[in-house]
Amino acid sequence: MSKLDVTDIQGFALRGYNFPFARFHFLKISDKQKGRECIGGLVTYITTGERWDQGKPKTTVNVAFTYSGLVALGLPQPSLMTFPVEFVQGMKARGTILSDTGKNSPHHWDPVWHKEVHAWLGVFAQSQSDLERQCSGLLTLLQGSGGAESIGSQDAAALQINGQPTTKEHFGYTDGFGNPEYLGVEKDSQPGQGKLTADAKWTPLATGELLLEYADEAGELPVAPLPHLLANNGTFMVYRKLHQNVATFRKYLKDKGALYPGGADKLASKFVGRWRDGTPVELSPDKRSEEIVKDQNRNVNFTFGNDLDGARCPFGAHIRRTNPRDAFGFNGKLINRRRISRRGMPYGPYTPDDQPGSDDEEHGIIFMALNASLFRQFEFVQQEWIEYGNDTKQGNDKDLLLGNHGGSGKVMIQGSADPGNPPFLCGALPNFVELRGGDYFFVPSITALRMIAANAVDPR
Amino acid sequence: MANQSGSIYGLTILSPIKDDPNAEISPSLAIRMYLQTLPVDGGGPFGRVSNTHMARLVVLDDVVYFGMPSCEEHLKSQYLIFESNFDGELEPYLTQLATEARDEVHNIWQHCIGYPGVQNVDAFIAYMKRCQVETTFYFADVNDKTVQQTLKALQTQSAVASFIEKNQGKRSEELQPAFVEFMRRLNSAPRPKPGSTKGKELTDELL
Amino acid sequence: MSNIHGKAYAMNTVSPMKPWKTYILRLGFFVWNHYKPIGDGLVQLSFIHFARWVIVPRYAFPRLSEQQPKDNLQYDYLFFFSNFNGTWNQYIDAFSAVLFSGLNLIWRWSEKFPGSVPVTPFKNFIVRGQVETDYYYTAYPHATTNDVKAAHRVQSALDDFAKLTEGMPPAKFADAYLQFLVKVQGDLGETGEAPVGT
Repeated sequence: MSKLDVTDIQGFALRGYNFPFARFHFLKISDKQKGRECIGGLVTYITTGERWDQGKPKTTVNVAFTYSGLVALGLPQPSLMTFPVEFVQGMKARGTILSDTGKNSPHHWDPVWHKEVHAWLGVFAQSQSDLERQCSGLLTLLQGSGGAESIGSQDAAALQINGQPTTKEHFGYTDGFGNPEYLGVEKDSQPGQGKLTADAKWTPLATGELLLEYADEAGELPVAPLPHLLANNGTFMVYRKLHQNVATFRKYLKDKGALYPGGADKLASKFVGRWRDGTPVELSPDKRSEEIVKDQNRNVNFTFGNDLDGARCPFGAHIRRTNPRDAFGFNGKLINRRRISRRGMPYGPYTPDDQPGSDDEEHGIIFMALNASLFRQFEFVQQEWIEYGNDTKQGNDKDLLLGNHGGSGKVMIQGSADPGNPPFLCGALPNFVELRGGDYFFVPSITALRMIAANAVDPR
Repeated sequence: MANQSGSIYGLTILSPIKDDPNAEISPSLAIRMYLQTLPVDGGGPFGRVSNTHMARLVVLDDVVYFGMPSCEEHLKSQYLIFESNFDGELEPYLTQLATEARDEVHNIWQHCIGYPGVQNVDAFIAYMKRCQVETTFYFADVNDKTVQQTLKALQTQSAVASFIEKNQGKRSEELQPAFVEFMRRLNSAPRPKPGSTKGKELTDELL
Repeated sequence: MSNIHGKAYAMNTVSPMKPWKTYILRLGFFVWNHYKPIGDGLVQLSFIHFARWVIVPRYAFPRLSEQQPKDNLQYDYLFFFSNFNGTWNQYIDAFSAVLFSGLNLIWRWSEKFPGSVPVTPFKNFIVRGQVETDYYYTAYPHATTNDVKAAHRVQSALDDFAKLTEGMPPAKFADAYLQFLVKVQGDLGETGEAPVGT
């Protein structure tokens, strides 16, 4: 395939920046013309996918739009109508598909999500002061334009534990492993991130699983808006604010861990498929291994073909549910169109390990994921693999950490006849995670941003 | 035998529907309207013709035109398609239809050409056989278990999960008698009803 | 009046075939009935309860009386009836991803078949030929075929365990119970309602 023009693609789409601080502003476009001019001014700030050969910048800036945001910017109707249906409807309207019901229903979302959010302005920074400086500059730009304003914001930051930034999240798991590799997208290649070939090797996924206007894993182009230039090098993002009930989780793990012969730490590893230091359970089911965690050639390099009874990594473990690899047979072919790129970051301060924690404090994870097709990728994983278990042979059982359990339901942790690794049932599941808002966004290329700003989007 | 896979029979019936240009409601519409009123769970006819795993009724208005360069053509009659997957043999099944589900069968097939009624079971069987088309290739994932065996197994599955949950961590002295009691209750449980969605509630009651 | 009952979806499709092509298809099915490569793929995919293909030759649409008009058709018709689990899109996606050669061999004889890869034209072909179900019954609506197979394994394991432990001394019971747990541990997913159709 031809080389990607990384100067045309927003950097956020191509890789996670791994900066420790972030703020996401949610914008409202108040005037078509002035809004477009504002976008025109913003384009110069946007971080692209260019390599940072001269060292990392202090901050990065990226922007994405909801459907209502594109309407507010005055894109022509015939073009608007070519966007995929789920994006047009927006995440709130897709609630029954995503199980955003009960505690996850829009009822409980943050106030900003009860309004119409038109755009997401994402700023990542190396330090808090850099973050403030950049955001202040951007807000000045918005105010000056008279066409867009911030109606809310969300801070996020790498969790500081003992004064050091970590890649942990609030339940104590080390996050950030295993983002997919795509053809043509330069990133540190690690075996295990792509797809499996017929001779059990790893190879990158088709570019069109991430970027629009490129061939996808089904040998066609994903549904994309017209004109082609509007869609080219763009992608879709799902943004979900996931509140974490730290107290509930810690108590549950403590209570069940006391009954589980392997102990609480091992039980926690079975929930996710990784020990909390990141060791994959499939490679090391009995203990943590710093050696494996640090080894880029091993920490995502495993398959489940030799663990079809789940004795090492249970069927329902989070990473096995969300990326079954070869667990469904057919050399993993059924998985290749269901991968997503995650860019999430925690929000709220870490609760020290020796404390029971709270369910009410503002802490959780800002889940952001990128994919060419929200319907076929994110929504499918959410509906069929997180909130349901038939494909993973778990009936109606949901993902233990993320499932919308409502107090009932169960997860069976497979084991063996080894007394330290018995089968163990976790029932009466509470909601460990609750949805507090979010939406679907279109992440345009630089060209598309300029076209939108110049009101140069053709109807066809 | 293409109609059969293991112990499951795949029946395909195409019954031509009457054409009555003077009727206020056409026979095919009448069938559809009646089907809309039928319960789809065990309270419906197949709950009683209880060796039916899955069955459907489809009113075929016409064949499908796929566009040029293929030719457009039309059926001169509409057809009622009956597709069923059941345990056992054809004639006993058709007999059961005529006897256990006589009212529903009559209300549906009375709109079809050549239907002789359900009073004379032999005539009904002969009529259905005239409407039968051979299944060319039949796949049944589970082809060696009856409906009752499956319903019982599903009840057992749910009950075993509950038992495991309730007795997790117990020592042998408590566990063994609990298991014996569990088996007694499970074995004396009422037979689960086909088409029911109340499985879980019943199991919870059971234990 | 629905294609869906519980976790099962009743799909019906019809497609026209030039009669000389029907012979080839019949031969193909004959071979598969004996060599079973498609059957194996279907079992491994494990989301179909029952499925059938029915060839109705152009002269074979039942005609039960002289008053019934005689048909004069050019094409034979291939009917497909499936009872599957999962959403419509998931089902066709999976077929297209892993069973495409088998599907091609069945449907290439139908007029205007675009091939089962890539998936979007294939889906359009299925949509065009799909006929809605007017009444659908399943005896175990809250169970997928995976659930059913798992349930039978649990029943079998329980029967064996009950027989084995009859009159067993308590000291040995705990071990036997652990072995039983390991046997059924992968087969205890709850049954219930299906995710909403998309």
